[in-house]
Amino acid sequence: MEVQRFGVKFFVADPPSVRLHDFIQIFHGWIQKQTVENHLLIDVHNYSHIHNGPGILLVAHEGNFSMDMADGLPGLLYCRKTPTTGTPVDHLETILKSALQACNLLEGEVRFRMDDFLLLANDRLNAPNDDECFSQLKPIVSDALERVFGHTKYTLTRHSENPKERLVVRVAGN
Amino acid sequence: MPTWKEKLSITMEPQLVEEIDAFESQIALRRSGKLDEKIFAETRLRRGVYGQRYDNGHRNDGVRTQELNFSSDLTKGPDTLWDAPGMQRIKIPFGGVTPDQMDTLADLAEEYSDSVLHVTTRQDFQLHYVHIDDTPNLMRRLAAVGITTREACGNSVRNVTACPLAGVCHGEVFDVTPYARATAKFLLGHPDAQGFGRKFKIAFSGCRERACGLVNMHDMGGIAVTRTENGMEKRGFELYVGGGLGAVPHDAKLFEPFLPEEELLPTAQAVARVFARLGEKKNRAAARIKFLVAKLGIEEFRRLVLEERKTMVPDPRWTGYLPEVAEFKENPLKEPVPLNGQRPEGFEKWYSTNVYRQKQAGYAVATITLPLGDLTSSQMRQLADLARSFTGDNVRTTVEQNIVLRWVSEADLPELYRELVRMGLGEPGAGTIVDVTACPGTDTCKLGIASSRGLAAEIRTRLAAKLFTLDEAVKNLHIKISGCFNSCGQHHISDLGFYGTSRTIGNRKVPHFQVVLGGKWEDNAGAYGLAIGTVPSKSIPEVIERITGRYVRDRNGNETFQEFIKRIGKQELRGMLENLMQVPAYEKDRSFYSDWGDPREFTIGDLGMGECAGEVVSAAQFDLADAERLVFEGQLHLDSGDYAQADALAYRAMIQAALSLVKTQFQSVRNDSDTVVSEFRARFYDTNILGDRYAGNKFAQYLFRRHDSPPHEHTLDRARRIVEEAQLFIEAVYACHDSLTERGSAPISIKAVGKP
Ligand code: SF4
Repeated sequence: MEVQRFGVKFFVADPPSVRLHDFIQIFHGWIQKQTVENHLLIDVHNYSHIHNGPGILLVAHEGNFSMDMADGLPGLLYCRKTPTTGTPVDHLETILKSALQACNLLEGEVRFRMDDFLLLANDRLNAPNDDECFSQLKPIVSDALERVFGHTKYTLTRHSENPKERLVVRVAGN
Repeated sequence: MPTWKEKLSITMEPQLVEEIDAFESQIALRRSGKLDEKIFAETRLRRGVYGQRYDNGHRNDGVRTQELNFSSDLTKGPDTLWDAPGMQRIKIPFGGVTPDQMDTLADLAEEYSDSVLHVTTRQDFQLHYVHIDDTPNLMRRLAAVGITTREACGNSVRNVTACPLAGVCHGEVFDVTPYARATAKFLLGHPDAQGFGRKFKIAFSGCRERACGLVNMHDMGGIAVTRTENGMEKRGFELYVGGGLGAVPHDAKLFEPFLPEEELLPTAQAVARVFARLGEKKNRAAARIKFLVAKLGIEEFRRLVLEERKTMVPDPRWTGYLPEVAEFKENPLKEPVPLNGQRPEGFEKWYSTNVYRQKQAGYAVATITLPLGDLTSSQMRQLADLARSFTGDNVRTTVEQNIVLRWVSEADLPELYRELVRMGLGEPGAGTIVDVTACPGTDTCKLGIASSRGLAAEIRTRLAAKLFTLDEAVKNLHIKISGCFNSCGQHHISDLGFYGTSRTIGNRKVPHFQVVLGGKWEDNAGAYGLAIGTVPSKSIPEVIERITGRYVRDRNGNETFQEFIKRIGKQELRGMLENLMQVPAYEKDRSFYSDWGDPREFTIGDLGMGECAGEVVSAAQFDLADAERLVFEGQLHLDSGDYAQADALAYRAMIQAALSLVKTQFQSVRNDSDTVVSEFRARFYDTNILGDRYAGNKFAQYLFRRHDSPPHEHTLDRARRIVEEAQLFIEAVYACHDSLTERGSAPISIKAVGKP
């Protein structure tokens, strides 16, 4: 399975604490200092008017970060756009680390759950949302999780079986 | 690894396969420095690949101007960095989309953009923050569902728009849909529509009275009319030309009160020819057809077009589509059943603003109100499923940046509403004062001065809460906002219109909007508004309160808003706003010094140039770039051992290069190879023009030899030779073109585009 465009969403632990508009200022601040390593931060886009939309988006050359509101569940979403190097496990590791870096930068603003999050393969050509791809993706996810989080036990499930949607894996800590 | 190209090659029309492969080659050529940036810019624009704010590599972050250090300094146009994210515009003729197309659009927004689809004021979709390297695959996926992005930007015929109610409207004379479709298809890539100095927009409307088609503000527009001839009803169009918004709006001029339907396409072609020939090319600010019509006068313009029409060789496509028009019919999915049964909470309000009962009893059009024209991929996919369940293929975008589902059986409306609410798309207020239209403005547009979307969002939020308590006369007013004078947000034709500008207070910039009152959306954009004065952005909501409040209080009986504005007059209106025009000192209230939704201190330092403003790309250069692309592809086939294909492409490249020169003297030359070679020989070889400075005549022999004696067998040697010869021939043609340009005899040039 050759997928480059992975994404990850870490849910906010306390959803009512999210004041979406605050992230406009926060993300502008990140751009001023170019705070996210290995990313060229470019612009902030306010999508708060869209129901369950991308919320507040921070556009970087390498990928987009957002305080995402999909399904009404706020969370830090990172979607990779440019290729990363190495194996699929390497890609996923890079992407997880980028997202975690953003979560760390938001410490003090919001807390994120590390025991329940989503990994998405944003590539319908190489990773359609079917059983076969899910089976192929599982070991890649497990290896990447082990590299990033150590020997924690996780359950991996397919988030939706709708073939039109992207292949999304729900990662739940045991 | 599988590729979209392989996967979709059999699902795409061959023509689209070829076009997109060609674009991919042009990307490769530009990447390797073999294609000039100006020519590449116009090439990509003609495929809908547009630049975005900050793509010159500079951005003010509120404290200082940062250099955006992309890893490569390659450019995709003058002052436009390759790696900077851009916008992809997707043309949707008359706004008609099917559920399958909606699914694809949703997928593309997720995979290449930011999961948001934006509906424009001309029924297109736009995706933002797209990397140029992703665009060929994005286009292939669109092509596989029958959508092309060709000529979505650039100096070309843009999306052909039409009333979203066409075919179901009570007031229409007839359904303009099939005519809009035929016009879009006929002019797409038409050789006579390639040499414009600026874009060309066409619209169709089913009637004079209502607004939906907005013919009056278009370069060319047709209003459906009929007349009786020999006891038979005959269809035709009241044809207008030379309308347009922009900084200086022009009313379209009546070209013909009754243009018979069979004359629609040939007349459009003749108009295109005259515009291409006589329209301004150097000064882009005066290059729209409205300036040509104004300069010549409509009578002279009409005479030239009719003269041109007489010279045109008949084309079977002019009338070939008419039998389909007679048969054109949309198929509803469900039986017509009147509204009945339980109605969910909120339904009545939504029904009162978002439902239009069709002329076909038992059916209705439901408008999906999209805030600022945006919806997510997930909403789009769900909407596609709703269409599948309730209406079939009958979905359209609107120029008010909404989506309509047509042919909904009325009895299904409550269920449809429930579903829309579940998806977050059940907002009422379509077509009312809360349904604010805004261009992208400073969010993404390089020319944006003030935040049109930020202001629109603020106004929307404030008015939504009290929509149903507003006086009826105010409730149905329109608000339209542009980020600058270019008026993509159509502020001129709005009751309350605003366009972004800037003022310096002390030594700081303050975002402002010019207030334009009393424009008319009805009657096909029947009147343009009156500029009243410039007000700081942060005071605009108060402007709306004040003007609408006075209207409610002081209007005479059923006086319309336009009549009221006219009666009150500019001076008094200005007086009403005088104190709102003041800006508090920075130390007193800093909020005035930032724009809506953007905490950075306001600056106009981020303002970019409209793409290629001031650059002139000649038509011949453009064609020559295509010749180079063909020879490049020939080289790739040579490398892969496909000698026959290498030979064929190299030959086509030479024909294309020769054609580029011939067209400088004989614009409407046929493009079959015999004609091209013979014209080229007579005009450039026999006259020694090609050989004049660079011994080009020797290179012309390569073309003649290959044309007269195609190879019987394909070998590596032969193929390699022809590819090399083609390259040399193209160089000679370039040299000849440059020499002619220096002498001032190189002709027809294309001005690259400015505003979107
Ligand atoms: S050029 Fe058009 S889209 Fe850009 S800000 Fe001006 S009016 Fe808006």
